[in-house]
Amino acid sequence: MSTVATGQASGRYARLMTSLLRGTLRLDVLVNKLYPTDFNPLYYTGGLSNLFLFTLVLSGIFLFFYYDASLGESFASVQYLTDRVPYGGIVRGVHRYAADGFIVGILLHLLRNWFTDRHLFARDNPWISGMFLLLFAGFIGFTGYQLVWDERAQLLTSMFVAMLRSIPAAGAALTRLFIGGVGISDGTLVRILFLHIGPATALYVFLWWHYVRQRHPKIWPPGVWVLFCVGLVFLLAGAVPVTRETIPAATPAASPTRFPMDVFFLIPFWLLNFLPAGVVVLLLVALFVGGLAIPYASRRETPVEMGVRHSGVAQVIDGNCTGCELCYYDCPYNAIVMVPSPGPGLSKAAANRSLLAVVIESRCVECGICIGACPFEALELPKFLERDVLRQVGEAVQA
Amino acid sequence: MTQTLKVVGFICDWSVDLAPLSDGGRLREVPGVRVIRVPCSGFVRPNWLEDALNRGADGVFVTGCPYGDCLNREGNFLMRDRIDQLRRRLQRRKVDPARIGMLAFGLHDGASFLAEVKAFVDRIAALPPAPPARAAGRAAVTQPAQASEGERP
Ligand code: SF4
Ligand code: SF4
Repeated sequence: MSTVATGQASGRYARLMTSLLRGTLRLDVLVNKLYPTDFNPLYYTGGLSNLFLFTLVLSGIFLFFYYDASLGESFASVQYLTDRVPYGGIVRGVHRYAADGFIVGILLHLLRNWFTDRHLFARDNPWISGMFLLLFAGFIGFTGYQLVWDERAQLLTSMFVAMLRSIPAAGAALTRLFIGGVGISDGTLVRILFLHIGPATALYVFLWWHYVRQRHPKIWPPGVWVLFCVGLVFLLAGAVPVTRETIPAATPAASPTRFPMDVFFLIPFWLLNFLPAGVVVLLLVALFVGGLAIPYASRRETPVEMGVRHSGVAQVIDGNCTGCELCYYDCPYNAIVMVPSPGPGLSKAAANRSLLAVVIESRCVECGICIGACPFEALELPKFLERDVLRQVGEAVQA
Repeated sequence: MTQTLKVVGFICDWSVDLAPLSDGGRLREVPGVRVIRVPCSGFVRPNWLEDALNRGADGVFVTGCPYGDCLNREGNFLMRDRIDQLRRRLQRRKVDPARIGMLAFGLHDGASFLAEVKAFVDRIAALPPAPPARAAGRAAVTQPAQASEGERP
């Protein structure tokens, strides 16, 4: 019966996505045995990411006051911060581990919402903004590693420059833009500092876009998870200090060839071991564009297989709407707006209305929640009318 | 005893997997239960539940996804609130709140869903019998387009 489950989905992609969906929900069953469902951390991947981002901003502001963006001073200033400033090393560790938590949170959030089809209809808005959030988060992580200006940073910079150069036509110009001139200089680090903080600010612009179509977005995880995550990050920062990997300061003479890996941010650079720079750039672009295309290019189910979940955009029955605003408050996607009523309604209850509900079609995801909200029979899903439901109820009580 | 009970369940299409549990809209193991698939638990209008009770159903329930994981973000929370409201409203008319249920189960929770439904039906079976069906409900759909206010039946 349930179309989600049977899914005579044709095609390999559809079958794969269906099994991923089932796997995701099976994992939920396990986690729900451990926690009440209101506390299932997998239901709060977005809120957890946002929490880590908040931690990053606060710790980042602290670090910013001590950082000195110049070739000679930046490593020393980070060293000073770590060793001499009270709790400086801890804050640096918090910044580092919260970043890992952030990227893990984002990836879990992405996979979960992909596998459970939460990108269909008008929900492409959160999806597209989410892809930009991921892109920017990855880039910010990378520039963060550069800021320390140790040998790893030096090597990363030269690898990144190699990737930029491999871009046809624009490569040379981009490189000059990035390092600020022909060679690496003090100006380069100023640029990197900006490229760390500027995109971090842009994250909040994308977050606004991420939330704008949602009523009551779940921005924070439950309080216990906030405490747990913040505590975990602090514990890690204390127990595994970031200075355990002793990387010497960058010097123009040094030509490092290897560095400690970070699995969360530096994977593209690890790929450079095997692939030419141009191919890695191509791969990253392909991943990003493919990600953007996910809500449009390929559907797990055909409209027929979606059954009742594809019943058409909600329609207001003008004559019955009383302007009570209940649907407006309940639509989880802000798809309903109240406009001044152009004239009285037809039913008795609607005769004195001053407002009229209007569904903005491009925002509606056909969930039908507004139908349940409306006590005046003024909303319908076109392909699943109240009449059909009541007929089924009638059959049920007669049999 | 449960055989003679008539129970109507509205099941969100994204929640429990009904395929292995039902035949032709009836739960195989609890034949008195008719299931109606809806796009989201929040789609259910509390009026319909009341209507079903008025027309002789012994119990009604709505099933959504686990709380916190509604496909449409808030449908099951909203429905839970609306059902609480409906219970309070019907209690004034001496309808036992136990006749109205709100369940939350995911795709793979079929077994616990069945157990919960059975418990629900058993609770209803233990109640004193419901008042007889009221006059056969109201007209299925109001037709505002043709009927102007004065000509309403
Ligand atoms: S069906 Fe109703 S509640 Fe759902 S998105 Fe559309 S307007 Fe909003
Ligand atoms: S809930 Fe119904 S009557 Fe109230 S504003 Fe919305 S459509 Fe109109």
